[in-house]
Order: sequence, then structure tokens, then C-alpha cells
Amino acid sequence: MQEATVSFKARAERALADPTLKLAIDRTTGTAERKRAVAMTQFPQFEAARERGKRIKDHVIANLDHYLLEFERNAIESGAKVHWASTAEEASQIVVSLCKQANAKRVTRVKSMLGEEIGLPHALDEAGIERVETDLAEHIVQLGGDRPSHIVWPSMHRTREQVSDMFKRAHRVPHQEETIEAMVASARRELRDKFLSADVSISGANFLIANTGATCTVTNEGNAELTTTPPRVHIVTAGIEKLVPSIEHAFLMLRLLVRSATGADVTQYTTFHCGPKQPGDRDGPEEFHIVLVDNGRTRMLRDAALKEMLRCIRCGACMNHCVVFRQLGGHVYGGTYPGPMGAVLTPVFDGLESSRDLPHACTMNGKCQEVCPVAIPLPTLLRGWRDRSWREGLEPTAARFGLSIHTFVASHPRLYRLGTAIAIKVMRLFSRGGLVRGMPGLGAWTKHRDFPAPARRSFMAMYKNSENKR
Amino acid sequence: MSARETILNAVRAGLDNRKVDAEAVRREADALLQDLDAVRPELPAGALVDAFIARVTSPKVAATAERIKDVNELPAAVRRYLDLHKLPPSVALQPAAVLKNLSWHGLETRGEVAADDIVGVGIARWGIAETGSLVFHSNPETPILANFLPLYHIVMVHESAIVAFLDDYAAVVVGQRPPRNVNLITGASGTTDIEGSLVLGAHGPAHLHVVIVKDTPEL
Ligand code: SF4
Repeated sequence: MQEATVSFKARAERALADPTLKLAIDRTTGTAERKRAVAMTQFPQFEAARERGKRIKDHVIANLDHYLLEFERNAIESGAKVHWASTAEEASQIVVSLCKQANAKRVTRVKSMLGEEIGLPHALDEAGIERVETDLAEHIVQLGGDRPSHIVWPSMHRTREQVSDMFKRAHRVPHQEETIEAMVASARRELRDKFLSADVSISGANFLIANTGATCTVTNEGNAELTTTPPRVHIVTAGIEKLVPSIEHAFLMLRLLVRSATGADVTQYTTFHCGPKQPGDRDGPEEFHIVLVDNGRTRMLRDAALKEMLRCIRCGACMNHCVVFRQLGGHVYGGTYPGPMGAVLTPVFDGLESSRDLPHACTMNGKCQEVCPVAIPLPTLLRGWRDRSWREGLEPTAARFGLSIHTFVASHPRLYRLGTAIAIKVMRLFSRGGLVRGMPGLGAWTKHRDFPAPARRSFMAMYKNSENKR
Repeated sequence: MSARETILNAVRAGLDNRKVDAEAVRREADALLQDLDAVRPELPAGALVDAFIARVTSPKVAATAERIKDVNELPAAVRRYLDLHKLPPSVALQPAAVLKNLSWHGLETRGEVAADDIVGVGIARWGIAETGSLVFHSNPETPILANFLPLYHIVMVHESAIVAFLDDYAAVVVGQRPPRNVNLITGASGTTDIEGSLVLGAHGPAHLHVVIVKDTPEL
């Protein structure tokens, strides 16, 4: 959807030329990768848990109609109103009209990737409703007027200096000291009264619990509860694949989700929201709405090549471990979801024609599949998109393609240094038997960096070595 | 056709319009909960309460903890905590009868937690040793905001209400009507949103102190 007019390569050029971006990406993904590795050494049951998690999700997907109806029944029983939306537009329309019915002037939002997927921030802005993002990272994204660049750390592309500037310009009582602590305190001061004075809150859900009708949020900041408790109306938007049979199943998934996302064992706050305020409750919303969103998910269900993607629990591990993501960041992917999972999902949401470059931006090193907590064979799914792109005649001719990708990679030393992985593997796989020509001209290669000596070791050896240095 | 019908039909078509056998689905779902020890971390050997405290005070959770013998010792424990952190002798109490009925002399108390309260004192229904989590169920004595507004949160939990695993908490509440909110709270509020570096006190409490009391719970 976004930036459809700017090609992947143009966006990648821009990212590679940005001197602070690589630094910002490394700070966040590097920490995430290290912390996950430590968490894994403390959880030797991971392999078994992952197999179980995969089976739970497969079981739910194989019985999705059953679980949707069970969830709906129990949610209604708890006093919730359940809405269904086939498309992104339908979903955001439902939310906007619920806000209008509630006469909402100010809406507080808990970060939700589904909300981004259905274009909710934009729809609320269009409707003239004041939207307050309460997750710190989303607050930064909102102030910066751009888009999330990571599904767990949406403002990962910003350095502390940039954040400091934005806060100083926007906050009523900004920080004095140039520390991250002082900046966080500034945001706390700025947002506190907004939490308490909003008319409607909107959240996503990490899990939908079929046998109780509850929705589950996980956060570290505590903003979900502060957001969803004071307003009169709470609206949840959730993809239909978020179902689990029970809270017990949710706990098994939670152990996988949090370790894979941040390396913690659980987030600071895990909350199950079930219906509106109950008799005698001192706080909580009077109306509780749940919008169940399809937006391409049933199409994925019917598609053997994509069905497995419905297991995804949006942990972000695949992007933290992706060599391409770590060079380019999230915006380059152009859709709501970046990294390997985004390269699989964006063609579903935005169409293959405008996003066919994404499945090619992959070295096929298999790292993403290795760390995925529900064992999604991401490289295989990406290869499926590449094949489809060929079949549908969306690809340029083999030779031209091989040359253009190779020229691009070879003229960008940072990518070239990834080994000739992208170049060679992609060309071998996708030149369709057509001979890939030798080295094309390298005229553009000193544009952003000095050209280093070509790699002699294998890509993985280099990658591992760079890991050890960190 | 409504969006509901459209979606359900599309799901059914995607599943080859097979017939749903609810009983079989339930059996399969139950089977996925077998042999939990194989798919969850191990607890350290020894008493549950020790495992819980070790977890709460570990760097991963980064809260503080202490034990008292009797609920009547709570005000003194709160007093000590305030002194240690050089905080004014004033606390907001979660509106629970157990807390209200204690003798708080020497401390100014309020029966509700407000937006700008510095110290809140609450009581959790359960503790979970696996994660060091405290569990709260919203009800007339447990407003949810009381857990999120104060800067310092002191929480009492009964030793007998400490369970081993997340799954054990689930087993305790199975079949009950869920409250509006179940909060599992594990340490203080934190964020890593600016350059991945951890800062406490993002929106919720910056400090969490857990007081484990030995007597039996009044649930
Ligand atoms: S594909 Fe796997 S690793 Fe990537 S976000 Fe989804 S669950 Fe996590």
C-alpha cells in the first residue's frame, strides 16, 4: 500500500545511504538477538515447546470455524459485542463508526500491528478524531509522522538524539537531561492525563481465548491497561488467526512468544480482557467491542503455499535474525510487516505485482526458519512467491533480472559483504536455467561506501564471525 | 451476505467443508496439554515460596521481596520500605477490606489510588513461581488502575496462594466466569523502545516490592 510508487531498490538505496539507520538497527536487533540466545540456553525445552506450539496453531487453523463460533458465543455471553470484517476498509470503518457513535473526541490506542494493517491510524485521522498512541515507540512514530519499522520495536529506526529533538518540540514539559531515562519520564508526563481523559480505547489482541471469549494483550509498559480501563468504550481489533482453545494453550504460546521476541520469559504485563465492567467493578469500560478481521486470512487458508503463515504469532524473531533486514531496516519493505514474515505477508495484502521484489530480498540462509517459534518454513514460502511471480509473468526476463539484482548488490558494498549470497543464490535459483552473465559493471559501487575486497570465505562463516565480534 | 457469513463460509471452504465433530476437537485440544513438563521450564528444587522469591528478585524480574509472618505486620513492612526509599509517610490502599482493617497508625492512608499517587499498596490473589508473576482479578475490591498509577507498588501475596506454573493458575480458575480483567504482573513497568535500552517506570510503576505473608489466604 504505502510507497507503492517507490521501488524496493530505490527504498533500499535510501536506507543504505542513511548513516544513522544502520547504527539504530544494530542497537535494537543486536540486543534482541543476544537476549534471545541467552533465554534459549535457559529453556532447553524450547524445541519440544516449539513443536507443541506449532501443533496448537495447526489444530486451531484446522478447526477455525469451530473456534470462531465458540469464541463469538462466549464473548457475547461476557457482554461483548462481536463484529466481523472481511477487508481492511470494513474493519477500520467499523472502528471509526463505533468511535463516532460514542461521540469520541479523543481516542487512545495500544500498539497493534493489525491496527496498522487495516490502516486504522489513518482512518481515525481522516475522521477528525484525536488519536493518542500510548506505546512509547508508537508515540515516537506518531511524532515523527512516519511508519513502524519493526513489529516489536516500531521506532527502532530512530536514534536517541532524534527522539530527544521530537520530545522537546512536542511535549508540554520536556526533559532537561539528555538521558533515555529523562526522555521516558517526559513521555510519561505527557501521556498521563490523556490516558485518563480519552473517550474510547482501541487495542489489538495477542490471543483470543475461545472457551472464555477473552482477549489477551502483552506489554512491558503497562500502557494497555492504562489505556483500556478509563474510557467508556474499549474496542479490540484482532485477526481471526489469533484464536487459541483456552488460557492453558495461550500460556504455552506465551512462553514461546516472549522469549522469541525480547528474550524475557514473560512480559511485565499480561492481561486478559473479558467483556465490559461487571457489577460492582470500580473501573473498566461500559462497552466492549471485538472486531474480527479476515483481510486475506481466509485466502491464505485456501492456499497450500501460504497456509502455514497463519501460525505466525508476530514475535519479530525472524527479522531480528535476518541479514537483509539488519542492513536495510523495516521501511524498505514498504508494507505493514517487514522482514521475512513481511516479505511473505505483504504480497497477500498489497498484491504480488507491487511487492514482487520482497521475496527476492532474501539470502535463503534459513536463519528465520531456525528461530521461528512456530517453525514456519519462511524460505519455502518466499520461494513459493518467487515461483508464482514467474508463472504470472511478473518477472522481467531471466538475464535481465539476474543482471539487475547483481548490479544492485555488487554496487552496494554492504550488501556485497553479506557474501555473494544474494547474488549467487538468487541468481542460481531464479535465473531459470538461463545463464547468468559474469560480473556486470561496477561503476556505482563507490556511491555510498568504499568497496571492500571481495569475500573469500563463505557467507555463513562471515556471518558467524561478525556475530562473535559483537 | 453479512461479513460474518462471508468469513465463515470462506473458512469452511478453506477446510474443504468437512463436518465439525466438536467432541473430537475438544479431545485433540486436551491432548495438546498433555505432558506439560516437556514444554515448560524447570523450577529449582525446594520450597515453592523460595522459588517464587528467587524469581521475583532475579535480574529478569528485578523486583524486591520480603517475608512477614502475619498480615498485621504489613504496615510495619510498608513503613520500613518508605523509610528505605526516603518516601513521605503516605500511601494509597487498594480498596480491599483486608488492607483497610489493618492498623496503619503513623501512616497517612487513602482508600483509593489516584493518578498522582506515589505509593500504592495492594494485594494479589496468586503468585506464580515459574515467572515471578502476581495475579490480580478485577472486582469491587480490586480496581485495575490501582496496579498501574502509583510510582511505587507494594503488593502483598499469601504464601499459600503461590502456585508453581502458569498452568497451575489456569487450573485453579478453570470453569469459573472470568473477571473483566486478569492482570499478570511481573516486575515493574519498563520499556526498551529507545535504542533497545531498558528504562523502568515507562507508564506504570517504576518499583515493585512483593511482601509474602505466611498465614492462610482469605480468597
Ligand atoms: S514468522 Fe515466525 S519468527 Fe517471524 S514473526 Fe512470525 S512467528 Fe515470529
